[in-house]
Amino acid sequence: MLGLSLQPVDFDLVAGLVRWALAFGVIAIVSIIVAIVTSFAMYGAVGPARVGAGLGQAVRDFTSISARRVLAISSLTFKEAIRRKALLVFVVFGVLFMFASWFLTGDSNRPELDVEVYVGFVFTAVSWLVLPVAMLLACWGIPEDIRVRSLHTVVTKPARRNEVVIGRMLGFSAISTLIVAVMGVVGYVWIVRQVPDSVPLICRVPIYGNIQFLDRTGAEGKGVNVGDIVEIRQFVEGGSKAAAIWEFPMPAGEPEKLRLESRFEAFRTYKGDMNRTLRVRYTLLNPAKKIEVPLPVFNVAEFSQNELDVDRKVEFKNEKGKVETFDLYKDLITDGKLTVKVQCLDRGQYIGVSIGDFFVRQLPDRSFAFGYWKAMFGIWLMIILIVMIGVTASCFVKGPIATLLCFCMVVLGQPAHDFMDKVVSGKQVGGGALESVYRLVTQMNQTVPLPEGGLATAIQTLDRVPSETLRLASNVIPDLRSFWMAGWVGKGLDVPWAGALLPSIAVTLGFALPCILLGYFSLILRELEAK
Amino acid sequence: MNKLSSRERKIAYFVGMLVLLIPIIVLGMPSGGSSNGGVLARMRTERDLGEASLGRVDPTSATMNLLLLGLRGVAVNLLRMDLDHYKDHKEWAKMRATTESVIMLQPHYIEVWRFLSWNLAFNVSAEWDAIPDRFFWVKEGGKFSQRGTLRNQDVPELFWDTGNNWGKKIGRSDEWRYFRKYFVSDPNTAQFKGQADPEINPSQKDNYLVAKDWFITANQKEETRVQHIMMRALFRSYPARSTLDYADAQQRDAKYVTRENKEEEAAALEEKFNLARTIFAQAFEEWTQDFGKTEFQTSQCLVKMEADEDDVKALAKASNVKEEVIHHWIDHYQKVTNYRYWRERARAEAETDMAKAHRLLYEGERAVKAGELERGRKLLEEGMGLYAGMLAKFTELATEELTVEEGMWGVLIWHKALDLLGKPVPETYPLKKLWDAHQEMLPTLQDRYNSSSY
Repeated sequence: MLGLSLQPVDFDLVAGLVRWALAFGVIAIVSIIVAIVTSFAMYGAVGPARVGAGLGQAVRDFTSISARRVLAISSLTFKEAIRRKALLVFVVFGVLFMFASWFLTGDSNRPELDVEVYVGFVFTAVSWLVLPVAMLLACWGIPEDIRVRSLHTVVTKPARRNEVVIGRMLGFSAISTLIVAVMGVVGYVWIVRQVPDSVPLICRVPIYGNIQFLDRTGAEGKGVNVGDIVEIRQFVEGGSKAAAIWEFPMPAGEPEKLRLESRFEAFRTYKGDMNRTLRVRYTLLNPAKKIEVPLPVFNVAEFSQNELDVDRKVEFKNEKGKVETFDLYKDLITDGKLTVKVQCLDRGQYIGVSIGDFFVRQLPDRSFAFGYWKAMFGIWLMIILIVMIGVTASCFVKGPIATLLCFCMVVLGQPAHDFMDKVVSGKQVGGGALESVYRLVTQMNQTVPLPEGGLATAIQTLDRVPSETLRLASNVIPDLRSFWMAGWVGKGLDVPWAGALLPSIAVTLGFALPCILLGYFSLILRELEAK
Repeated sequence: MNKLSSRERKIAYFVGMLVLLIPIIVLGMPSGGSSNGGVLARMRTERDLGEASLGRVDPTSATMNLLLLGLRGVAVNLLRMDLDHYKDHKEWAKMRATTESVIMLQPHYIEVWRFLSWNLAFNVSAEWDAIPDRFFWVKEGGKFSQRGTLRNQDVPELFWDTGNNWGKKIGRSDEWRYFRKYFVSDPNTAQFKGQADPEINPSQKDNYLVAKDWFITANQKEETRVQHIMMRALFRSYPARSTLDYADAQQRDAKYVTRENKEEEAAALEEKFNLARTIFAQAFEEWTQDFGKTEFQTSQCLVKMEADEDDVKALAKASNVKEEVIHHWIDHYQKVTNYRYWRERARAEAETDMAKAHRLLYEGERAVKAGELERGRKLLEEGMGLYAGMLAKFTELATEELTVEEGMWGVLIWHKALDLLGKPVPETYPLKKLWDAHQEMLPTLQDRYNSSSY
């Protein structure tokens, strides 16, 4: 979820791939070793040979997969889902949207504030309605086939188990796609009708940069904490050398006008001139040529868009009162990067900034539909992921258990992800499981360091075991945070590729192969006669 | 293992269900037609606890509560956590929407209305830097409280809260000058075309007069339902206090009266101070007659703030206590409500000389500030003379801090004017006694003078 400010973190695809390959490789190798040892224990020397034969069969099954059979199974799955009244979800959806405006009473004085609420409602409604439908369909499909023995008629045909798994996933994905698409269209029309004409529904395309801070002496440092409960913004002291400096990667092309847009917060240590908001100035920098071009000062409009257009020819009066002119692209942008310094001009007052608060806005803006459908694509990816996990789970456990497993991974796993990441990375205050128990028993505060000595070393060493297990779990439980892109759309921004779309696509694809393999082997090993 | 067959067990269950139905019917049968309903329905009618009798019924809210069955508390808890989350993350639109969701589930929880409206008007508005933005959130809080009165039409606290928001929050915030102006001319000119927001101020009145209307209604409600936020005498003083505040605000506003032409400015100032005087005269009547004659029940007797000896005797007789007891309680109540100060202040401010003294002192200060030293000196001297006369007449005010401060400030400016004119301070002058008696205030006033743009 997007917090106080939009802060895109670019997804590192290479690092992600390496991490995926490591997790996948380790799990695959451990699984094969466990299979060999177990089979050896059960069947003696023949066991490992059987494992080898099974792996060989898997290679043959996957290399000779038939698209026709997969499509046939997926087509049957689609029809079966409709027969099971999956489309009844539209009734609930319809009722929700008929009465939504009752519950989302907007304020006619500030309709621009309501766009975010309307967008959030549509995306929440779509995801929370489709999610259980997709989960239940996916988790109950194969177990139900086994129960009514219809799977026997399939597996006795030339269809392979991997084709059953993939066909099921595709079929459930298709029905989910249909539902998401219809709901997406209805949601879009609903938003457009709800928002008054005076509020423009647009999709601004931001170019985000990197940020660094200068402290009040002008040395590299960080911003000030003014006591916000959630410290997402750092504050820059006004009337001093303190500044926040952004470096934007500029795309190719040299448009005549560049639009800088910011969304800063003001913090006053004294009332000052109440009748005007704090003053801010941008300065364009070229450190290589030692050029500094201050732009016109403006007053901050808090939690709103501060827009400033910069022409290609930038003029300003220097200290001697002489007008100097610089070319934006020749003099100020170097190596494809634009550097902008942001300062507050009111002494003793502060402006709060975070990396996503300031960006170069690419013109022209895109249509609202563009961002909306990108975000809807994120919801669709999430549903596809849930379908894959659900089908996989249904291959080795029965429907209720598969549903529970899927629910835990997808719904309960999300709030836990933050916690797991903190524990695994060692950022969790109070340490791991054993250390926490020790602190509880001895009533030791979380922030107090453990007493040095053998006990502390033993506790921290032993804590690595659950910590490593958590690391594995954090790899297996999908992180769905990037899939929720409504925050961008609600704020009238385009959904970033590297910050949201790419990680969502990568996570979905990353789960596809392991899910298919796990589903396939589970179905191979499953006793189909056992209902 | 029991020995009953399946059929027998079912019959036993059925009989059990029938038996349990009896108390359910007796207790919970709804009223309708000629029937008064069950015990609960009758109690609901007797104690005015029905949804419709509490205030306007919102079908959405009622539907939500019905759908949630017993999970309303859980849902509210989750929503309140969301609300705090959005507030901490400064997601104002979502926080506002969540506020609506909470109140939809708890439409008759008075403290929830009170807290959430305060949250919007005081906490959220303070998070914004631009004054029009702050005003917007103050309005949101006030409007929210107004809606609370519609849903809970007999609750005096909510009416009082609304009055307090329009009175104190608008009139006494640091941004009061702007808020008061915006209250009659909304900064959202695109929507309100320079008029007041009709939802809060349909008659385009001063904020204190709108507040007074709400306080009057709160008092009417209080006559039939006890309020739990303050001592009753204080609660009932607010309509008259609003008039006093309204008059006081006119004096404060006068300091920002400016005109291009000096004569016009002087005339406008005179008009403003005279308006304040007239309102103070009205406020005196309301304070001493409407509020002062209201009877209050103490733990020992009935009292009223404005009571002569005959009244005291009558009150003592009615309560069967000694007259000293009545005097004790009158004194106590007068202290709690600051009754005597406001009575004296209103009486003094209603005097023509007092209004003139304020104006002259202020005009003199302006003249000195503008470099018209001789004119300023004369105005100040005249004002000091009238002010001294007023303090001699209203002795209780002579020790009151704000009154003293005004006099001391006038004398200080007069001293500065004399200094700049190269004239000595005479041995005797009006307000000398006050000046000598309150020298401890001088450093503060001197700082104020130094930081002023003289």
